[in-house]
Amino acid sequence: MSSSAAPRVELRKVSRTYAAGGAEEVRALREVDLDLPAGGFVSVGGPSGCGKTTLLNLVGLLDAPTDGELRWDGTPVGLRSDRERSRLRLEMVGFIFQRFYLLPTLTAAENVELPMRALGVPRAERRERAAGLLREVGLEERARAYPHQLSGGEEQRVAIARAVANGPGLLLADEPTGELDSASANVVLDLLVRVRAARQATLVLVTHNPEVAARASRHLTLRDGRVVADRAGA
Amino acid sequence: MRRHPSSRALRHARWQSVLAVAAIASAVALPVVLVSVGGGVAAHELASLEQSGYQLVVSAEGLHGIGNAHQDEVKLLALPNVEDAAPILSIAVDAFNASGNVSPLLAEGVVPYPFAATLGPSEAGLFPLPLPLGDPNDTVHFAHGTYLGPTTYDVLLSSTYASKFGVRVGSSVVLSPTTNASLGVRYNVTGLFGTPLSVVQPSGAFAAVLLLSNLQTLAGYASGPHAVVPDGADTIEVVVTPSAAENPAALARVANEVQGAFPAYTVTTLSSEASQLRSAASVLTGFYLALSSVGLAVGLLFLALVLVRRVERERRSIGIRRAIGVPAWSVAGAIVQDGATLAAGGTAVGVVAGYLVVRGLATWASATVQEAAQLAIFGPVFLLELVGAVVALSVVASLAAVRSAWSIDLLEALR
Repeated sequence: MSSSAAPRVELRKVSRTYAAGGAEEVRALREVDLDLPAGGFVSVGGPSGCGKTTLLNLVGLLDAPTDGELRWDGTPVGLRSDRERSRLRLEMVGFIFQRFYLLPTLTAAENVELPMRALGVPRAERRERAAGLLREVGLEERARAYPHQLSGGEEQRVAIARAVANGPGLLLADEPTGELDSASANVVLDLLVRVRAARQATLVLVTHNPEVAARASRHLTLRDGRVVADRAGA
Repeated sequence: MRRHPSSRALRHARWQSVLAVAAIASAVALPVVLVSVGGGVAAHELASLEQSGYQLVVSAEGLHGIGNAHQDEVKLLALPNVEDAAPILSIAVDAFNASGNVSPLLAEGVVPYPFAATLGPSEAGLFPLPLPLGDPNDTVHFAHGTYLGPTTYDVLLSSTYASKFGVRVGSSVVLSPTTNASLGVRYNVTGLFGTPLSVVQPSGAFAAVLLLSNLQTLAGYASGPHAVVPDGADTIEVVVTPSAAENPAALARVANEVQGAFPAYTVTTLSSEASQLRSAASVLTGFYLALSSVGLAVGLLFLALVLVRRVERERRSIGIRRAIGVPAWSVAGAIVQDGATLAAGGTAVGVVAGYLVVRGLATWASATVQEAAQLAIFGPVFLLELVGAVVALSVVASLAAVRSAWSIDLLEALR
């Protein structure tokens, strides 16, 4: 399957405010202006609670801004209907979570097939592509294993295979190595870099780890819901 | 290999599924048993009616309400299109065999010749014909209502009774209207007859057939040899000519003529009796289904709770699916499919369980229940309707879980 072209992502004065009980509000993002050109590798850092995950969720259409505008290739997408955003996520976005989030009742191969199944890919093609993706992440032999039978590193590699299953142009990783030992973390990071490059996708990676961030071509630092630093990297 | 907490959750989910299937199965088994047995009994009774050799029934209100049975028989025979008329008196008596064993019997007093004409093809095969009761038209003993003529004291006994009490043709039994044998009369057993499968067995299978006038006097209507005996009967079964029998309009005309001749009596056609029986069977089926719906409602409520509980337990999984881009309707569809699968599984188990229960009743239950269970009919249409209804209702039962899934906050679920 050919990959979706990576979209150019633009945020214009985007804010996200959450109700925190009663009249109190939490402003997770404050009037963020940001351009994410297609095909880049951007790391997002900053202290806990600074809005990193909120930024990732907004960019990946898991959440909607309370103010401002989010555009993909110049088209406003932030306030589209739930159904439209689901479709865009399915076709254009691959998520990699810190806690892997594989479905426990499905095998590794079935987890990888899940996005393709939602997209209506025929079963035979799904199986063939899932096998290829598991081969790509080095887990061909573990295709029939359930998540509880896999190590943390293996689970995250399956999650990466699932994230790229529909050939998305945008890969969003939230602390993907946060729960892994350093050896597994390196394997996962190498894999992420490799699959991004192979697909010319945009990778936005939230991390606290400076070594991980060092692999990115651009570093964003957030504090109190604002982008306080935007530097070029390796 | 790590032991994942979700493996325990999976086992737990399996148990909940098993319980949901069991709840639906037990709810489905009840209507399967009730409707198959009830429907089978009704169908059997209908078949008996349809195979009868008579077409009209004359009856009167009250116990043995027909007061001039022999005279009415003659009057009926004088009507056009009436071929035979058979008055019947049914009374419970006690029978004492040679060993002194006593048993209640259903005694039927008949006039042999016309009675034989009212027997349908299947019933006719059960009786020795002509009936060996000595007086084919019951005129000798009846003697124009004097009851002073000589009598034969012959009786036919059901083979069920005969085998139970070791009575044979040629032996004798004492029939008495009370448990006091000294008030009874000794009868010669001149023949045995078979009994059709009936839900009133085995007590109904203990039966005797004797001359109408004999039973009238045995029943105690006469207190002395010269006392006036009411010429009583319960019903008169009327056989019409074949041309009238096959034409509903002609049969209705004959019924009207009979009614006109006997304005104080009730005249019914067997087809109207069959129609009444069908109505009664429908009402009973409705009652069975209403009764079953209580169990079904409980089963579906349990299914709804299992599905809601499952959604609560799988909040994260649902969140992951939604994050990947699986549309909300697809998540809802998966829940409905889950519910329908559990309901279909439960229904299938319930149908099999109901079948096995009926088969068990037909083998091991008390004799009366056994007879009823043996008549059970497992109609494929009813079973398919039942499966369809339960699966359709499972969609309704899934709605609460669907609503719960739709209300899941995606970001909360992924936290």
